[in-house]
Amino acid sequence: MNGQYASLLIALPLLSAFFVPLIKGLGERGIKYYLAVITALQTGIAAWVFQQVYSTGKPIIVMAGGWKPPVGINLYIGHFAALFVLIVAVVSFFTAVFSIWSMKVQPIDKYAMLFLLLMLGATGMIATGDIFNLFVFMEITAISAYALTAYNKTGEAAEASLKYMILGGIGSSFFLIGVALIYGSLGTLNMAQIAQLAGNMNPTVAQVGLALIVFGLAVEAELFPLNAWAPDAYQAAPHAITVMFSAFVVKAGLYATARLLYLMQAVGSWHDVLKLLVAMATLTVVVAEFAALRQKDVKRMIAYSSISQVGMIAFALALGSQAGVDAGVFHMVNHAVVKALLFLGVGYVGIKLGGTAMENFQGLGKRMPLTAFALTIGSLAAVGIPLFNIFWSKVRILIAGVEAGYTWGVALILGASVVEAVYYLRFIHAMWFAGEGERMREGLAISLILLLLAALVIVIGIYPDYIWSLAQKAGSDIFNVGQYIKNVPLMEVGA
Amino acid sequence: MLKRLLAITTLIIIGYWLAQGLAGVPFGQDRMLVGKYYLEHVVEQTGAVNAVTAVVVNYRGFDTLGEVTVLFIASTGVGALLWSRKKRRTARTEGSIVLTTGTRLLAPFVMLFGVYIFIHGHLTPGGGFPGGATIATAFLLLYMAFVTYEIPHRAFEKIEGAVGMTYVIVGLIGLAIGGYFLYDWIWQTWGWGHDNIGRLFSGGFIPIIYTIIGIKVGTELSGIIDNMIKEEVSK
Repeated sequence: MNGQYASLLIALPLLSAFFVPLIKGLGERGIKYYLAVITALQTGIAAWVFQQVYSTGKPIIVMAGGWKPPVGINLYIGHFAALFVLIVAVVSFFTAVFSIWSMKVQPIDKYAMLFLLLMLGATGMIATGDIFNLFVFMEITAISAYALTAYNKTGEAAEASLKYMILGGIGSSFFLIGVALIYGSLGTLNMAQIAQLAGNMNPTVAQVGLALIVFGLAVEAELFPLNAWAPDAYQAAPHAITVMFSAFVVKAGLYATARLLYLMQAVGSWHDVLKLLVAMATLTVVVAEFAALRQKDVKRMIAYSSISQVGMIAFALALGSQAGVDAGVFHMVNHAVVKALLFLGVGYVGIKLGGTAMENFQGLGKRMPLTAFALTIGSLAAVGIPLFNIFWSKVRILIAGVEAGYTWGVALILGASVVEAVYYLRFIHAMWFAGEGERMREGLAISLILLLLAALVIVIGIYPDYIWSLAQKAGSDIFNVGQYIKNVPLMEVGA
Repeated sequence: MLKRLLAITTLIIIGYWLAQGLAGVPFGQDRMLVGKYYLEHVVEQTGAVNAVTAVVVNYRGFDTLGEVTVLFIASTGVGALLWSRKKRRTARTEGSIVLTTGTRLLAPFVMLFGVYIFIHGHLTPGGGFPGGATIATAFLLLYMAFVTYEIPHRAFEKIEGAVGMTYVIVGLIGLAIGGYFLYDWIWQTWGWGHDNIGRLFSGGFIPIIYTIIGIKVGTELSGIIDNMIKEEVSK
């Protein structure tokens, strides 16, 4: 089949989101099943694209409207995008299945539309090859995320959403000004062409533009000091949505940061921006870990833990070395698996027992042994115990950090990891060694998903080679800008 | 006081840094790498005499599809957050005689003007977004003038979804006929309107897409007004 059909990755969620108002008559259950079917279809398309890209080793360039870049907009589905679009689709499918059972707040039809558009936005951000198009998809992601954060319609949710909206709005305007500066000095919006011409840019302009873009994206990528919205939003959003936030929405922001950063490699003032980002990332890790330690609500605690892991990914991506980027991508995959597992499990318990406070988790081992088992695996992995998946990526990040000369950052991250171990072990202790309770029935579909994810954690932990080779390919897709420029069939325009 | 001084100093430093960046951008100079290409080829490639429209709908149509989606999300989000089982208008004051009479006379013409704007998007300034907003203004006038007025919001919601789907389907037809998503098959494959440049029936699929956008934006903005103006009533 023709590579242009990869545009279905964008067309399908859009078409099906617009279709929802017309099938309102199906009722709540019908719409929820519809959501699961569409996300399953999307997974199918994403799997086809993944297979295409990894078997041929060549990226798929989708040219919207048939215009060659830089005149038209192109999607660049290379090794990274193919891998992550698949992850986005799979996680969305899991959360859609979880929503069938868990989503009770009205209006379900609007929920389904926003859900699909959130998935669409993240997919587009990862796949696009045009810097303004990236902005459009970022807006799609962010605005559907604001609405979904407030979806439960409680006071907390409204507050969290408002915070998110204000910070997100400031972030988007920063990003837009950054794009304007780059467009003003280069006259093109195509990422490959920007990379090609970046060397000719006035270093001050490039520094300001790039720093504004990094700041703008840092809101979506949850980097300190622009992540104040994240814990509130994670806690207040519906459980299924929290899974999506942690598993791929933040990844899309991180990826966009890394992609733009490396595209501008040729710029004279590039290393200053890298240093800025390393400092922000390290602070993110440290601040989030200490904040997590004090939490009494498990969902919020894991939200902080997620933020700290994201900081670690940003640290790896900002090292400016091939090893760092590879390790960062590897950690992104592992983090998506582990956090999807943890947030799904916590959400399941939260609905079953009416809340996610730490007390509800006491005696969980006796009440819901399967869920407790899956949560334990997830927690152990998050701490970074050997033979679980995160161990490998964490080690690689730390080694890459030392190699790149950021020993202080590595030391701070290691110190923060000890803090992480403390609160996760406390959590495990509460589940197995405290409290009493009757055995409860655990749903089949959700138990299956949880066990599948837990199995994945262990399989990657024992045989990391396959995923590591994928991550290396995806990493060099980001790092090797020369290849990126070569892959995009740029046409000659102007002088 | 110290805090404020610190904030002001930081602002000045950041402001200076930004100004340095802006000063280095050659705004106003001939830096149009891609822009020049558009200007030179627009008529022959898209059939639109309004170059801005051609860039928005044809060359960078993918962005516009995204922007339409952003508006759709905004309206859906408002609908989701202000949702309640039963909603009704609770306003009591009738509009003044000037407002009601004016609205009666003007509303149809305002709508007509909106339609004019979006149909002629490829010829004159304007297009789907302003045209749709103009149409929504007519509904806003009706809401302000008459306390009992309500748009048929169920039907509007369905129309909104259906025209959105039509946009994506137009893009998919392009994929099927021309091999590219959002390919302008009317102008480039069928070659319709080539001897009609500068008149209504030209510009390939631009008028079709702007009609879709106009209807969509009109229904969406009216829907947002409807959602915001009504209040929840207990049964």
